Amino acid sequence: MTETTLEPPADPIVRPRVNAIAPCLLAWLVPGLGHAWLGRRGRAVAFFLVVLATFVLGIASGGASPVISGQRPLTYLAVVDNLAMGPFDFIARRMTIGELVYRLPDSESDPRRLEIMSRVRDRVRIPTYEYGSTFLLTAGLMNILLILDAFDIASGRKD
Amino acid sequence: MLRSHFLNLALFSLLVSIFFAFLTQTTGRKQVRVMLVMGGSMIVLSLIVAYVMYPFPLPR
Repeated sequence: MTETTLEPPADPIVRPRVNAIAPCLLAWLVPGLGHAWLGRRGRAVAFFLVVLATFVLGIASGGASPVISGQRPLTYLAVVDNLAMGPFDFIARRMTIGELVYRLPDSESDPRRLEIMSRVRDRVRIPTYEYGSTFLLTAGLMNILLILDAFDIASGRKD
Repeated sequence: MLRSHFLNLALFSLLVSIFFAFLTQTTGRKQVRVMLVMGGSMIVLSLIVAYVMYPFPLPR
């Protein structure tokens, strides 16, 4: 009869936990920077390049940053999505609408509203506007996922 | 500015599949596999949906 010896169970993987706020904030400032701060340099470079390419394609294809309109509730979500790009959202807004504006004035006859609408219409007339806006929104969604991923890694839930 | 629908679709699929490959996998082989499967599926499924929708024109 052979003797069986019981191996002691392997130690569970202990993942170091670090402060999760810093990588999330860095990921919001620059796509991939949160991962670089957590030591995932290769993935950080890949994320930065992919999100940047998506963002640049969005601008180049005639996309426009969304502006909140009281009559269209989904514009709130679109603005929050674009804000997830951090400073890139400010750049996009400057390049597509010409200034940092997030909300249309409610009054239909407000000259400021007409001015902003006119700038947005100029973008909408570009044939590839829909593609550009989709690329811009996708870049924002990607960065939201990167912020959440950086949080998971920092809090030890993911390698 | 890219005006080709297919080129936009292909670029979009490529970027999204690379992103998810790096987000969900850590090793090179698995990343390439996810990229090919996801990117290919997005392009093929979009073409199928476009083909199915072709007989239904927009109301004028």
